[in-house]
Formats: sequence, structure tokens, C-alpha cells
Amino acid sequence: MSTTTAPPPARRRHAARGRLTAWLFIAPLLIVNVLVIAGPGLMSVYYSFTDWDGLDQADFIWFSNYAELFGDPDFRRALLHNLLWTAFFLIVPMSMGLLGAFLLSRIRRGQLAFRVLFFIPYVIATVVSATIWRQILSPTSGVGPALSDLGIPLLDDVNFLGDGDIALGAVAFINNWQWWGFLVVIFLAAMQGIEPSLYEAARMDGASTWREFWHITLPSIRPTFMFLSLMTVIWSFLVFDYVYILTQGGPAGSTDVLSTVMYRAAFEEQQAGYASAIGVILALISATTVCGYLYLRRRLRWDI
Amino acid sequence: MSRNLARRDLLKLGGGALAASWVLAACGSSDSSGSTSSSSGGSSSGAVKDVTYWAAFATPEGQKYFQQNFVDAFNGSQKNVRVKMDVKQLMTLGQLTNTAVAAGKGADVVYADGPSAALSFAKNGKTVALDAYATKYQWKDRLLPWAYDVSEVDGKLHSVPVGYGSLVLYYNPETFAQHGWKVPTTLAEFEAVCADAKSKGLIPVGAGNSGYKAQTEWYLTCVLNAAVGPKALHEALTGKRKWDDKVFVDAITLVKSWIDKGWWGGSSDRYFTNTDTDMFTGLAGGKVAMYMTGTWSFDSADTFFTGGKKWDWAPLPSLNDAVPAGVYPLAIGTTLSINAKSENAEAAAEFIDYMIADPSRMLGMLAATGTNPAPLKVDANAYPAEVDERVARLYKAIPQTKNLGYASWSFVPPKTDTYLYTEFDKVITGDMSPADFCAGLQKAFAAELAEGSVPKPFTPES
Repeated sequence: MSTTTAPPPARRRHAARGRLTAWLFIAPLLIVNVLVIAGPGLMSVYYSFTDWDGLDQADFIWFSNYAELFGDPDFRRALLHNLLWTAFFLIVPMSMGLLGAFLLSRIRRGQLAFRVLFFIPYVIATVVSATIWRQILSPTSGVGPALSDLGIPLLDDVNFLGDGDIALGAVAFINNWQWWGFLVVIFLAAMQGIEPSLYEAARMDGASTWREFWHITLPSIRPTFMFLSLMTVIWSFLVFDYVYILTQGGPAGSTDVLSTVMYRAAFEEQQAGYASAIGVILALISATTVCGYLYLRRRLRWDI
Repeated sequence: MSRNLARRDLLKLGGGALAASWVLAACGSSDSSGSTSSSSGGSSSGAVKDVTYWAAFATPEGQKYFQQNFVDAFNGSQKNVRVKMDVKQLMTLGQLTNTAVAAGKGADVVYADGPSAALSFAKNGKTVALDAYATKYQWKDRLLPWAYDVSEVDGKLHSVPVGYGSLVLYYNPETFAQHGWKVPTTLAEFEAVCADAKSKGLIPVGAGNSGYKAQTEWYLTCVLNAAVGPKALHEALTGKRKWDDKVFVDAITLVKSWIDKGWWGGSSDRYFTNTDTDMFTGLAGGKVAMYMTGTWSFDSADTFFTGGKKWDWAPLPSLNDAVPAGVYPLAIGTTLSINAKSENAEAAAEFIDYMIADPSRMLGMLAATGTNPAPLKVDANAYPAEVDERVARLYKAIPQTKNLGYASWSFVPPKTDTYLYTEFDKVITGDMSPADFCAGLQKAFAAELAEGSVPKPFTPES
């Protein structure tokens, strides 16, 4: 018969010290998070129920900002752009990243050079790469006029960032240029953890490259794939830098996303309360995405 | 090998972190804003009052001149006051100031990019009334009446204008001579030059808002003053005429028609990718015929005109036969106020006074750098011979003319002003009609008029 005995005092002290150590390590980050995330976050929720203009006293107006939001065509258009942006980044860079990583995983010589090459755009400051691309796509001094000088007037009448019909796609293309190389590196790291014997067995069974990818590679890296998909959704709703630097949401709102509408409301139109409401909506979208991910993992036991 | 941390280790870690944070804090304290600190040096003592001032300059030469001749000179003349100037980016200074002042922080001397922005601070109690200082330093006697009046909020002076100019028509005399054009003064002449320039592959009128959306209000200020006229604008600014009146709708329709013809910025899509730099470069290179913009570019226009090329300017042409040609929209680009949270208001006022007390100091800066001066009562003979003839011509012409107009960022209230340059994009793309644009303008203005947020415009003489 076994008996349960209380741990001796020395062990309890040791365990308590371990917990204290852990708390001491986590405390600086916790304090920073409370100060720069939780505090301002709660303030934003409060201000979203007010008519605060950023300077004057804030008066409580309950849900008026939210009611106004959903009647605001600029907000609705920006939300649509965020959804299109999300779809684009879930499909194009993810596909390019997977393909690039899979092809790289199958070569031995020069792999490092390609990894570095693909990763370089990611380490370039956004403002630098955006400025370079703005020059490249400039209708007066960019690739269009350069081709024209060579007798190829293919892009003569194309203004990538000035034409409202194509500007959002142009900005997404530029952002993707920086982003997809990062995905290649992450997917490649995940692929390198796959047991080689799985591929050997598949080859012995006569599996094609495509079937290897579909039946071995993709299922094996599913947690990485799902995590990057989750982050892509969240980042797609938070996108700001490229849009702001390249077009500031123009022409006439054709590249506006929620964050640029929020920025304009807060800092140009003196509608800080309204901007806070947009911020709360953005936070809710991100929280919903994370909750959905956690639900799939924990409740439905999805292996992601 | 892993091992548990002993109390000693934790103390060492904690001590190290504390020491590191002190080092970081010490490094950071020399310039907490991350911007260029331009204080005159010397350690602060208990008797010396520091006055902080955030500024921005279009050129390094302007910054250097201001530092030496205003900040250092002021500090050298004082025993108990020291101005510490922090230089920020020109495009973001207004926004930085707004955020800081709203949070009850910011510099002692508060910058605003015009009376309209300064009015927002005043209405919300973020800046103090300056009437006592105005009396002490006789600012009413020194400043031009219109500039003093527009700086008052509810009958009290809340800001001091320290930089003013106008909007004019820049052109390249060589290009005009080459094509046989005459500088336009009427709508017919203006349209004739535009049509000819377009047919020859030039951009007739420079325009664009890439990089700085508010550039649109520069162009709209020109169009409204030249096509509607100061009298109708004054009526609108005082609520006697609505902004959706036919005269405004016609003016916006007119400029929209020019955009559709490719006269304004080249084409509607080019408008959104053209920058101010592109337009001056085009003007110098003979690819842009005319450019209507502000006289703040006097200090930088020469950088585009190299190899003996020269720019020149002319007053805005009339864009409506009922409006006299040659209107000068008055624009105050920089105002200074005193932060309500300042503990050194007296010293801050002393520095503001130093900037405008001696007109020769301002005119010296105008001569050396072309920087727009404060709107001071200055005799035409007071301009030094070193002032560029083109610059002196403007500042001698303004006091003599009766055809003075209104720049939007000086006389239009802040939210209405933002509406002007953000919503006009939709007119350009055809997403909004000129009539709807003007209706929205009226709605925004009416709300601010009711709040008492409209700067007081001078009465036009023409």
C-alpha cells in the first residue's frame, strides 16, 4: 500500500524559488505589455464610445461611432480591401513560399545561396523597399519609360500606383516581393524536419514528385502551414506600412485599408473616438481569428 | 549543464540590468525625442530656465541660419533663459505637435502650421492667451493687421504668426520664350497656354499629391481665389454664402474639366503619383509649363534650376472674368503659441518676441535663405539689397495690392480644410461630383462655424 506524503519543506522552498525565478523573468515583459498594450488597448475601447477629437474633452456617445462605421462607405470599402488582401496573401505568397521551399529542399548545392537571396528582401527596411519600388513603377522615370526608350511601349499608359483599378494589386505585389522569401525560409526549415525515410519509401512505391509533396510534405508541415496562415490573416488586417508609404490609401481611397482609414480619422480628421472604434474592430477580427485557431486545436483536436 | 539560479545570481542579474538601464537612460537623456538636438550647449543650472521649441526647416541652410541668428543669438543675450530647439521632420512636425500637446506634453513654444491648427489648440485650452504679452511687447503694432486678427480666438490672441507668404504662378521664362507664350493674366490666356502646352506634349499645369496629400489644398486655394474671388470667399468664410453655392460648384467643375483634359498634372492618374519635386524638376526641364504653388518654395526652387536656368513667378491669373487678376492668397505657414502646461511661459513669450521684435533679423533670414518672413509691418525700403529680386518683389507687392485672398490652411477651419484635400481626390477620379463635393464642404464648414472654430478673416478690399 502506498501512502501520499507531503513534500518536505526544502522541496517546497525549492519549488517556490523556481516559481519566483520564473515570475522575475517574465515580469519585465509583463509590465511592458500592460503598459503599452493592455493600458492603451483598454483606453481605446473607452474612447471608441466617445466623441473624442484628440484634444477636447471626450463625451460618452455609446455606440454612435460603431453605428456610423457600418454606414461609412470608406470603412466598408477599406474592409473589403482587407478581405481581398487576406485572400491574396493566403493564396499567392503561401503558394510561392511552399513551391520555393519544396524545390529548394530537393537541391543540395547552392541551397544556402538561394535561401540568402530569397531572404534579403525581408531584411530591407519597408520604407527603403517601398521607395525603390515607387521609383521602379513611376510613370515618369520607372520601368515603363525605360522600356519605351528601348522601343517597347508596353507600359506606356500604365500608372501602377496612380490608377485606382490596379493600385491595390500593385501595392500587394510589392509587399509580396518582400514577404514570400520569408515564407520560403520558414517552410524550408519545417521541411528539413521531415523524416527522409518517408520520401524513400514513397519513391520505392513509385510516387511522383507531386504525390510526395501532397501526401508527405504538406501533411508533415501542417502545423507550420496553419500557423503562418493564421498570422497571414492577422497581419493582413493590420497592414499599414506599404499602403501608407506608397499611396496613403489613394487614389481616392482605392487602396485604403482599415488601418489607413483609422490613421486618417485619428490624425487628420480629428476623430480620435471614431478611429478608436476602427481599432477595436481590428482587434476583434484578430482575436476572432486566434480564437478560431485555438478552438480547432483544443476542442476539435485538429493536428495544426 | 543546467542549474538552478541562486539568489546571488539573481542579484547579479538584477544589478546588471539596473546598470544597463542607467547607461541606456543616460544615453537617451541627451536627446529623448530621437531628433537632432540643437541646444546651444552649456549645463543647466537652477537659475536658468529652459524653453523647449520644436522646429522644422525646408533646407539645412535655413536650419543653420535660424540656429545661429535666432536661437544662439537669443541664448547669448539672456542670462536666465535658454532655448533648446529640437529639429523635426517638416512633414510630420504638425502631427507630432498635435499628439504631444493633446497628451499634455510637447514643447513650451508650440508650433502650428497655420492659424487654423493653432485655433484647435486654443479652443481646447492647450495654449494660453497671449494678450498680456502682446501688450507688453507691442505685437499689435508690429504685426500686419490681418495677421494679428486671424490669430485671435474669441477675441484673445492665441498665436503669433512667424512665417507668411502667398501662392503664385511659377514658370520658366526660357520655356515661355521658346514657345512664344505670354504669362497669362486672364482665363482665356491661361487656357490658351494650357491648350498649346498640351498639344506640344508638356504638362500645362503642374499638380500632384504623391507623398503629401495636403498639396491638393495648395491648388484648390489657387483655384478658389482666382475663380471665385476673395469677396465670395469672405462671404463663405463668414457664413453669408454657402459653400455649395453655384460659384464654388462652377470653380470645382472648371478644375475638374482641366484634369479630364490632362491639363492639371498631366492626367487624373498622374495626379496621384506626381510629387512637388517632380513638378519643379519638370518646370526646370521645360516639361511642365506652369506651376501654381506657394512662395515657401522660393528657398528651394533654385536647387532645380541649375546651369544658368532661372525660374520666375507671376501673380495668379484670373480664372473667371468677373474676378480681377493678380490675387495674392495670404498664407500663414507657421504660428507659435505657448503651451498651457509650460512652466516657463514668460520665457517662451520672450523668445517669441525675439523672433519678431527686430524686422531686420527676419529680413536677414529672408535674404540669406529665402525663408518666408513673419507678417511684420516693414517699409519697402527696409529689404536688404541681398534679398533675391523675385522674393523682394512679392513682399513689396503684397502691402501695395488690394487684391488679397485666403489660403485654406490659414482661414478655413481644420476639419473643413482636411475635407478639402481628402475628398477632392474623389472628384478627380470621378467618384464624386463637384456639386456633391461642395455640399460636403458646406456641411463640414457649417458644423465648425456653429462651434466657433472658424478663424477670423480680414475684409477684402477688392
